[in-house]
Amino acid sequence: MKAELHEISVNFGTFCAVNNVSLSFAPGEIHALVGENGAGKSTAMSVLFGLNTDYQGNIVINDQHRRWKSPADAISAGVGMVHQHFMLQETMSVLENVILCSEPVNKLGFVSFATAAKSVQNLIDSYDLQIDQTQKVSELSVGQRQAVEILKLLYRRSDLLILDEPTAVLTPNEKNELFQSLSNFKASGKSIILITHKIDEVMMIADKVSVMRSGNLISSKLLKNTSKDEIQQNIIGGTLPKPIKRKKMHPKNIGFEMKKVIIPGLATRRKPISLKVYLGEIVGIAGVSGNGQTPLVEAIVGLRNILSGNMLLSNETISDKDVSARRRKGLSYIPEDRQRVGLALDASVIENSCVSQIRNKKFSNGYFFNLQHLRKFSEQLVSEYDIRVGTVKSKVRTMSGGNKQKLVVARELEQKKQLVIAENPTWGVDIGAINKIHQELIKMRDMGHAILLVSNEIEEIMGLSDRIHVMANGQLSEAMSSAEVTANKLGKLMLSHNDPTLSEKLEKMQP
Amino acid sequence: MTHRLYSLLAASMLLLVTFASLIWLADADFFKSIMAFFKGAFGGRKYAYLLVTISKAALITGMAIAALIAFRAGLFNIGGEGQLVIGGLASAFVAINLPFGGPAGIFLVLLAGMIAAGVWAIIAGIMKLWLGVPILVGTLLLNYPARYIASYFVSHPLRDISSGMPQTHLIEKSLWLPLIPGTRLDIGFIFILFVFCLVLIYCYRTVGGYEAKMTGLSIDFANASGLKTKKISLETLALSGAIAGLVGAIAVLGLHHRFTDGMLVQPLYAWTGIVAALMVSLIPWAVLPAGFFFAAIHSGASGMERTADVPKEIAIIIQGMIILFVASKVPTAFNQNIGDGK
Repeated sequence: MKAELHEISVNFGTFCAVNNVSLSFAPGEIHALVGENGAGKSTAMSVLFGLNTDYQGNIVINDQHRRWKSPADAISAGVGMVHQHFMLQETMSVLENVILCSEPVNKLGFVSFATAAKSVQNLIDSYDLQIDQTQKVSELSVGQRQAVEILKLLYRRSDLLILDEPTAVLTPNEKNELFQSLSNFKASGKSIILITHKIDEVMMIADKVSVMRSGNLISSKLLKNTSKDEIQQNIIGGTLPKPIKRKKMHPKNIGFEMKKVIIPGLATRRKPISLKVYLGEIVGIAGVSGNGQTPLVEAIVGLRNILSGNMLLSNETISDKDVSARRRKGLSYIPEDRQRVGLALDASVIENSCVSQIRNKKFSNGYFFNLQHLRKFSEQLVSEYDIRVGTVKSKVRTMSGGNKQKLVVARELEQKKQLVIAENPTWGVDIGAINKIHQELIKMRDMGHAILLVSNEIEEIMGLSDRIHVMANGQLSEAMSSAEVTANKLGKLMLSHNDPTLSEKLEKMQP
Repeated sequence: MTHRLYSLLAASMLLLVTFASLIWLADADFFKSIMAFFKGAFGGRKYAYLLVTISKAALITGMAIAALIAFRAGLFNIGGEGQLVIGGLASAFVAINLPFGGPAGIFLVLLAGMIAAGVWAIIAGIMKLWLGVPILVGTLLLNYPARYIASYFVSHPLRDISSGMPQTHLIEKSLWLPLIPGTRLDIGFIFILFVFCLVLIYCYRTVGGYEAKMTGLSIDFANASGLKTKKISLETLALSGAIAGLVGAIAVLGLHHRFTDGMLVQPLYAWTGIVAALMVSLIPWAVLPAGFFFAAIHSGASGMERTADVPKEIAIIIQGMIILFVASKVPTAFNQNIGDGK
């Protein structure tokens, strides 16, 4: 099937998720759509699949303009999508799942399972899929479930298959099987769109590569006309922003240290993590999200118990202390998820700005709080950090993403704690707020605080950090001086997923 | 704004039409029924019915406060009924065995009810924290043992056999809650008003109330901010249970002067209290009028049945409709995590 997206734009409020993107997909072609998280890949594809109907631009299928009302329209026109999270009925058989909602019926209106089984078996045989259609879905492995999802599309005669991060959950063997099936589909003339952020896979299987970054289409070329380096460059963004002015620091004293810490739920191979953050420096932890950053941060903050090792905050062990004791000792935390962890959306700005300090003598006597002092404090935060909100009594829910995040940052930095943990502090906020937050972090560093920055954005890591670790697959690389490291090198380390040679590479990376 | 006005008008019309047609079905006179309703709720000789309404309102409001305190901390304690019963039973037990009466005795009896019910509520908290039983399930299921434990005690060890009923002996008169002079209204409602004021202060001005609210709004936020959420949950449950227990003790010392099987369960004090708290979407000051509203509907319905021969179920149907209308207007209590924008 020939499909085109013509000058597609999608806006979420004031945020432009997809900006004037045109893409074309040809039959018998595997088209890889790559880019970082939040680059707009999935949003663009949800337009093509009819999940998102609020867009500007045109969808052209086989030279005809189309506009879907819902995914059902797209499906009946031959567009199929496999989502990252499967949508299968666990307790039903493979056959029942595949024919669900398009069951063949006989004259009396009963489902004709015999006819269905025959046509499904035909599909399984002709594409050489490794599934037994009589099995229950609950008995299947993840790879087989994915095959069922694909089988569903084939059964509905989809000619354009969209696969969203299909290898994210697969073992290497399953991945090979998937790629074999994709080659079979390609040979039979179907178009395949592969949404991914893993470059190695693109190099292995794609015919055409399109790169998106922050909503824009950066390039769209045949694989043979481009190179791995060029793709990487395009994903990350060629030019780095101008560095913010920072003081020259000569950090001598350790602010925070992890000594051979083993964190549950981190890696299959439990390799201990060691990490030092000096006072007066920003240490960046780069990595694609989901590589163990969350458990690491939770362990430091005190939301997750560690199995062994030790953590020291200004030379005192904090491993056995709870969150509030660690915060009192000198830790503040800007969480990644401001909606759920960083803020209570239905509480007011006042209530949100003093949550971890309410027992502080400044605000209460331990039993009753002083509303005047609280209000004054939050008004001060609002004006110092230029937070746009009606009044400090307004609910936080009414604020924009950038202002919400500024409130979190303001609350945490205002406490002037020795160690600041910033976890994707600028995720999903507008450019103005990003600059403000970056400036504040640098300011804290210049004042001699220890800052641990965990981020999925290479630019942010490179722009702010003094030293950089890369986290991949639950393992932390040795620290690299940010003066010596290049974006390409970081990108390679971050993107080498499940690469058995990673640990060797990491060891070689020592400065 | 006009939209709201229209929907308010439409709802009132619908209520009135339903009410009229139900009364027509019951073959009664419409205006006579309405008059009987208001007289039953607020009138009577020397406002006797109003005093009954106040006394009922005190118990319902008390239970609404108990529910409110737990709900706003994210603890769906729907075991108010069990806590009420345990509180009532414990206070009756202490009252019967107490060798002295007077204010000190009354204080001790109330305290016993509060402690017993608080402990009963904490069981659900412990089941949640150490066994993972959801608070909703734990508190609900604990209603049944509470009810049957009380049943057993009043049918066997504590039974006043000569009365022929499953109930305890009458409590010494010196332990009864005194009446407001010249009326038949006991001072129980003053205790509830007092608790109401304390709870307002708790909700709006104390560190504990603030921390409980934050925990209820987002437990992840509370944890990451360093609040001791386990401790807060247990304390809040205990507080909620203790208030339910106080209501039980007031019903025993003020209204019934003994514990009769089912006397705290049948009038649905606990459930009506939960509905009242939810109806005002957990706004602390509003539980007082909400409690009074439900009490008025109940005593009005009884009045209607007495004088206009209209079954009191009709009033309960109207109450149900009002709850539906109000609930559809106040969706904030439970779905605060749905549809979060950026």
